[in-house]
Amino acid sequence: MSKRLLRRLLSLLVSILLVHAAAFMMVRATRGGPFDEERALAPQVQLALEQRFGFDDSLLVQYFHAVSGLFRGDFGPSLRYRDTQVSALLADALPISLALGGGALLLALLLGIPSGLLAASRRHRNAGALAITTSTFLLAIPNFVLAGLLVALFSFQLGWLPPAGFGSVRHLLLPWLCLALPLAAQISLLVHARTTETLNSASVRSAIAQGLSPQLLLRRYILRPSLTPVLAFLGPATAALLTGSLVIEQVFALPGLGTFFVQAALARDYTLALGVTVVYTALLGSCTLCADLLMARMDPRVEALS
Amino acid sequence: MTRRWLNRAAWAFLLTLGCAALAAPWLPLEDYRSMHVELRLEAPHWTASPVLGTDAQGRDMLARLLWGARISLFVGLCGTLVAMFVGVPYGAFAGFRGGRWERTMMRLADALESIPMVVFVLFLMSILQEYRSELAAIGCGRLQLFLVAVGLLFWLPTARVARAEALRIRQLPYVLAARASGMRGWPLLRTHILPNMMPAMLVMLLLTLPRVILMEAFLSFLGLGVEPPAVSWGGLASDGLAAMNPLVGSAWLMGLPSGALALTLLALQRIGRSARP
Repeated sequence: MSKRLLRRLLSLLVSILLVHAAAFMMVRATRGGPFDEERALAPQVQLALEQRFGFDDSLLVQYFHAVSGLFRGDFGPSLRYRDTQVSALLADALPISLALGGGALLLALLLGIPSGLLAASRRHRNAGALAITTSTFLLAIPNFVLAGLLVALFSFQLGWLPPAGFGSVRHLLLPWLCLALPLAAQISLLVHARTTETLNSASVRSAIAQGLSPQLLLRRYILRPSLTPVLAFLGPATAALLTGSLVIEQVFALPGLGTFFVQAALARDYTLALGVTVVYTALLGSCTLCADLLMARMDPRVEALS
Repeated sequence: MTRRWLNRAAWAFLLTLGCAALAAPWLPLEDYRSMHVELRLEAPHWTASPVLGTDAQGRDMLARLLWGARISLFVGLCGTLVAMFVGVPYGAFAGFRGGRWERTMMRLADALESIPMVVFVLFLMSILQEYRSELAAIGCGRLQLFLVAVGLLFWLPTARVARAEALRIRQLPYVLAARASGMRGWPLLRTHILPNMMPAMLVMLLLTLPRVILMEAFLSFLGLGVEPPAVSWGGLASDGLAAMNPLVGSAWLMGLPSGALALTLLALQRIGRSARP
């Protein structure tokens, strides 16, 4: 077990290093740089800037510096935000993004699992059909449109919640909802499909025949097998959250990682973009790892961390 | 019974839309690029002249929607084909070969799945912006970049399904018979395995298409989609979102393109699900 865990951690490290190396090479291979202005800089200024950011060393030396910085959590100075270290920007943005993503994931689970179970139950057929229809519809619109709808409803019509900005929990409610609803829809569909299967299985049918109460049936026979696909989905869900946050943070003007990444990518702030990419890789990798661990715990048939 | 009617409605909708999109240049529409300053932000009249209203620059929304359909559907179809073109051979080869090859190839796929591909692709696209003039010289614009990006993003699920199918078919009696009579390698793959993978791959195509169209909307929102004056549904919807404010009600600007998008995706999902064996 611990040996396998170690191997997985090692492979996570390797994938972070590979992503870093690929991004690093891509950045260094580009000809244009953040110092390209409308007017050409004086050669001395150009040279001074390049020296300051270490662009005048050989590629190998630069890469070596970058990797040793990576292990210290140091990505060098941002190219656009003058006199600011990338790590400082990341340290400011990461908590916001974590709060956004973590809250959204929790909300998605809280909405998706019960509605999926409800959809599979034979007694509440209409509510279940409604849950399935809503889910299919939610998966067919882009999330910025969903954000627009929710803002129009809750901010402009009802005036309950602020349409954008950051400051209190109230500012996070709409972004949470926007990120969580599509995920909840997917979770609900997954749970529905698997629970329907479980309900028809021999074990559940014989349990029903023995006269188990519905509560006991749900707890002992249905929940565990029905929830394993949700665990398997946690990795892809994190990836979807990352993608979604790029858009949602823009819409709601939240100063999180996604906003920084998009701005950096558009403004050629490559050190910042590289830093965010590495942080994202680490986040996604560790979430996938946790999901796999949980899954092996829940379903002994899944060979732990194969 | 209702399910059958839903399927028919989905087919009818997609066919109508496809024909209208194909025929857009010859339909009696306003030019989708011409601006009319006196007709800005006209709400849909439904029966009278700007049937679906006009946008913030006074451009006809019906024309923009149909021209947007051309781009969105075309991009979706091409992107899906690119993803299939990469994923199917990869998965088929892995499943067919088996053994060490399969394990290595699938482990590579797992590793790729655990890095945030979307972020990586955006990174790549932003860097390729630097080479825009060189890329344009070899006839490679935003559209082609998008297709490459989609190929990078969506080939993985296709490869997985293709591998599973290849594994399943490899054990079927007719393949075993062919093997027993001495057929090996590429001829076996071509004559027996690939053709029999087609139904599953068709379903996969139908399921990937909606995701690619949504991806295009996502990139349009970030400003990396098709370049104006060309329009796509995602671009239209994100323009609608930008135009939205509490003082001027302009809900149709976002509602119409996203409604069209949603209907198309629902129809595709419907057909994809009904085609699943």
